[in-house]
Amino acid sequence: MSSTEQGTSSAAPAEPTTAPESAAAPEVPESFYYVHGKDKVVHKVSAGALQHSALIHGMISNLGYTEEQAKANPFPFENIDGDILQMVVDWCNQHKGKPTPPEDTNLPKQKEKLFDLVLAVNYLEIKELLTYCCKQVAMMVKGKSPEEIREIWMIPTDAEDEAAEKEAKKRAGKEAAGETAAAAGDAK
Amino acid sequence: MQLSKFPYLVQKEILDNMTYSDLFLLSFVSKNMKNIIKSSQATRFRRIGRIVYEIDNMDLWNTNYRKIYIPSESNEDVILRCWDMSEKLRKDYFQLNVSGRILDFEYITCRYHMVAFNQCNKESVFESIHNYFLDFFGDTVKNQWIVNNYMPYFPRLPNLSLILIFWGTGNDKGNMKNLQKIISSSPTMTHIKMSFWEANETLKPESKFYQAESIAIQQDNLTVPVNLGSFQGRQTFFRCNTCRNFDLIEFVNRWKSGEAFQKLEHLEIVIDNDDIPINRILDEIGVKYIDATKTPPTHTLPKVYFETVCKPNTYPINAHTYVVRETDNRVASISIQEKTLSFGVWSETEEEFLAMVK
Repeated sequence: MSSTEQGTSSAAPAEPTTAPESAAAPEVPESFYYVHGKDKVVHKVSAGALQHSALIHGMISNLGYTEEQAKANPFPFENIDGDILQMVVDWCNQHKGKPTPPEDTNLPKQKEKLFDLVLAVNYLEIKELLTYCCKQVAMMVKGKSPEEIREIWMIPTDAEDEAAEKEAKKRAGKEAAGETAAAAGDAK
Repeated sequence: MQLSKFPYLVQKEILDNMTYSDLFLLSFVSKNMKNIIKSSQATRFRRIGRIVYEIDNMDLWNTNYRKIYIPSESNEDVILRCWDMSEKLRKDYFQLNVSGRILDFEYITCRYHMVAFNQCNKESVFESIHNYFLDFFGDTVKNQWIVNNYMPYFPRLPNLSLILIFWGTGNDKGNMKNLQKIISSSPTMTHIKMSFWEANETLKPESKFYQAESIAIQQDNLTVPVNLGSFQGRQTFFRCNTCRNFDLIEFVNRWKSGEAFQKLEHLEIVIDNDDIPINRILDEIGVKYIDATKTPPTHTLPKVYFETVCKPNTYPINAHTYVVRETDNRVASISIQEKTLSFGVWSETEEEFLAMVK
């Protein structure tokens, strides 16, 4: 992977904003970690911001990286598009060390972006952001007729479900037959 | 966006954030979808206390407008509104197969869908909706149909209990006739509320009125026109202008002897004009006392029926005085405070009851 300093700095908040700390609190140097998505652009994120993600938080706790090791080994999330990971990183930075508000109005309005964000957030186990996203997905069908809901959420009809089920059974039958034949061949 | 591509827990979280009204419409999209809703929302649906069918506030004098909602202490979660099809349906109306019957729906303001139907078909329309709800929300949810103010229509359906709410009888004999008609043709009523009973006529002791599980009545006194003595239900809330002490004493003595009020759980009588002579009544009913330094158990239970935004439980009785029923040794806490007599029957015997005193 091509982890570059250019990638680090150009990838939105290269230097994440730190939450104001109380005057009485002792100064503890903040540790940073690095993540990248499908586009290989590396994002530098503070441990505090990453605490929102149960998955990454678990990885950090288990690995015990030094800052140098963390820089050399960014966490790869090849299943997440670069712009979606950027949204996630921005959200984690904005809500670092703060109680999450009851609503979040800055989520993407486009269906496909929201869909990808839900999958990414679910994978990264960011509970609060997942709740906001799911609320927004639920609001998409508020007051809609069943046919409108079907279109928005691409829900198959009963006939399509039945056809898919038949197809799946057929495939499973073929696979089972193939396995039986292979086993018989092996026995010979 | 394909909903089925989301993991089950994400789908559940999305459905958790939808209103009952939206879930109801979503359930018509496909059989699979309906099953996902039923399985993922099973816990939420089990928490539904009841579904209420009531005249819509939009037009109180028109029985043809009805709303179906899930009430709570703080609000009404409307699932559906039902409308008379007197006006032409809008162009964007759609049809749904509700328990085997095709019904017309259209979107109205206030974020709700309504089902529009011809009044001639109302019996079968409500039957279809009711059956659909039984299957969708589960048959453990109570369904209550409210008959308001002498508008006598109610569908005769299994698992649909009847609530009668009257604002007053007036002196109109026609109203009384209507009331008698509704009562005699009703299944056992769950709750009857009469805001003020001013009719001169009285109800006969054998009237089905007295079989209601719960009644809340405001009238001149305890015995006319509704006679407390004939009540056979579980909960009663009386408010009278005046009351003879004899009637209160007779009530308690009949309960103590086991002669009447076997099913009674809670009684509340408020006398508006006079304070109740506490000591005299307590002496005459042979009340027993709990040591004043000790704490008696508190009697409260869920009301058979409560209106939205009202307390769901009976007012707590925390009394040092009680009486015991001779036939089964069961206890009733009795509290008299200024104008209110409260009576709460325990399922415990006297020994069990005293064991709860701390």
